[in-house]
Amino acid sequence: MNPIVSCQQVTYRYGKKLAINQLTASFPQGQAIGLLGENGAGKSTLLKLITGIMQPNAGQIKVFGETPNWQTLKRISYLGDRAQWYKFHRIQEAIQFAQQLCPNFQLSRAEHYLEFLKLNPQDFVESLSKGQMMRLQLLLCLSRDVDLYILDEPFSGIDLISREKIIELLIELLAERTATFIISTHEIYETEGLFEYVFLLKNGKIVKKGKTDQLRAELGSIQNVYREVFR
Amino acid sequence: METRVVGSLTFTIDFSIPLYEQIVEQIRHAVARGEIKLGTKLPSVREMAQKLKINPSTVVRAYLELEHEGLCEKRRGQGTFITTSEKKVKDLKFKLAQEAITNFIQTMRLLGIDQKTAQQWLKEAEWK
Repeated sequence: MNPIVSCQQVTYRYGKKLAINQLTASFPQGQAIGLLGENGAGKSTLLKLITGIMQPNAGQIKVFGETPNWQTLKRISYLGDRAQWYKFHRIQEAIQFAQQLCPNFQLSRAEHYLEFLKLNPQDFVESLSKGQMMRLQLLLCLSRDVDLYILDEPFSGIDLISREKIIELLIELLAERTATFIISTHEIYETEGLFEYVFLLKNGKIVKKGKTDQLRAELGSIQNVYREVFR
Repeated sequence: METRVVGSLTFTIDFSIPLYEQIVEQIRHAVARGEIKLGTKLPSVREMAQKLKINPSTVVRAYLELEHEGLCEKRRGQGTFITTSEKKVKDLKFKLAQEAITNFIQTMRLLGIDQKTAQQWLKEAEWK
């Protein structure tokens, strides 16, 4: 099967700092893929390059076989650096706003997820806790019907119940849709059962990759693999 | 390791072993020990994935494997069921018993105990 995203010798610099260093990788289609690595490994940068929000300094990225552009972006739903929604909106209004703004937004799905994530549509965005805010962001992101979902650190810095709710929603989605999910995280313990494939990113390079069950057979838990790579 | 209950089944998930293998193995043993009655409906893929906090495709893969072995059957639109064939269960018990015997022999050999002695000890051992 053709990869959904492929990177060839991709390099990206912030000034003198090398964030992505001649990275080559193929992301398999239709799977839940974990992009694992410590803070500063280059995870967010790589995801931004895939969306096309930023362009590489060298090398080539293909998404759905094309160089990322505004057309490919329509087929991607990206949860990135904490998109800003209007604080004075109620959740209900934020959803309506997202529906007008985002291509392929499914209102019925959003309403269903509200219940699933235990969010009250009458609550003001301003009044939400960090965990509730992440639930809302995720709801807006996952209510779009697209081929590729890119979620940058959806589990970090939020409460346990929110994390569990988010994991439940992701499992629900994986059961009902054949889409590709690329999810970056450094919180592996709770999430390792979700991933079918993982990439471990260190200093802007892929240092380990593979099918999770295969890695488990060869090396033990993904948590172990992670520890060995980053310790 | 964590123990998780799905309907009438209990699973112990160890993340250092391929997950689908564990599901297959634990359902096999539950059937052989009679903990699941013949013809029982297995939890849906979705329920199993939610309770075990794993990817639904892992559950699909495990159920497929059990189907291939003939231990489960998929009924269209209804889900996956444990076989109703007594013979299949008998065959499975035989297979699992053989595995246990192979392990026993392996252990005895590693301890440097010959067949005759091992058999004698087995005969004398209390069967409880």
